[in-house]
Amino acid sequence: MSDDPDLERRFRRLLACYPAAFRREHEQEILSVLMAGAEEGRRWPRLAEVADLLRSATSMRLRTRLRTSWAWEYRHRRVTVPVRVISGIWLVALTVILYGYGLGGWWGVLLVPAAAAHFYVAYRSLRHRAQS
Amino acid sequence: MGTRAMQEATFLILTALAGSSQHGYGIITDIEQISDRRVRLRAGTLYTALERLRTDGLIAVDREEIVDSRLRRYYRLTPTGAERLAAEAARLQANAVVAMSRLDPVGAR
Repeated sequence: MSDDPDLERRFRRLLACYPAAFRREHEQEILSVLMAGAEEGRRWPRLAEVADLLRSATSMRLRTRLRTSWAWEYRHRRVTVPVRVISGIWLVALTVILYGYGLGGWWGVLLVPAAAAHFYVAYRSLRHRAQS
Repeated sequence: MGTRAMQEATFLILTALAGSSQHGYGIITDIEQISDRRVRLRAGTLYTALERLRTDGLIAVDREEIVDSRLRRYYRLTPTGAERLAAEAARLQANAVVAMSRLDPVGAR
């Protein structure tokens, strides 16, 4: 258990990497955990603690972003599903046509995952409707 | 979801909360004990997991306390969480039993 104000300030600075909404809710709480885990007299966060906080903040930001993207996709699925299905089919057709005429190249490999991504997002949006 | 194996950290957090509600640091020290000092969760890892478990409805906030001007938020297991933990524990036990029974003849030889 440490009460060093310098250590607390440094922890606080690291916690600034978390999404704002999470920080509002949990900053005080995590800070108490970090201070409780620090031995008396320590003034700097350990390297492992810094790495752990940065990793956790990054994954939380990614998760938040992913969740909002999916939410947007679900909300507008009436538009996004047909658009994605048509885009996917078009990309597949384009690939077939280009390679059919011998115009394909290494970049052709980029079209297939793009089409797959469109189909996948459309599929998940449809499944989401089936569940809710 | 629901059929995938649970991460050990998740399993241990739920186990820590199965007895009674606990706050963040309490969970860390409890897990250290449960795991025989093998696992000591760091604050970031713990809160990433707690946040996910709360979104999934496996745990919930029980109450808040201020101790030495520090905020402590206590978490408890929800009925869904208890169900998931029981299922996972049964799965692990079944696997362990098979492993032990297959290893046993080797040890006896």
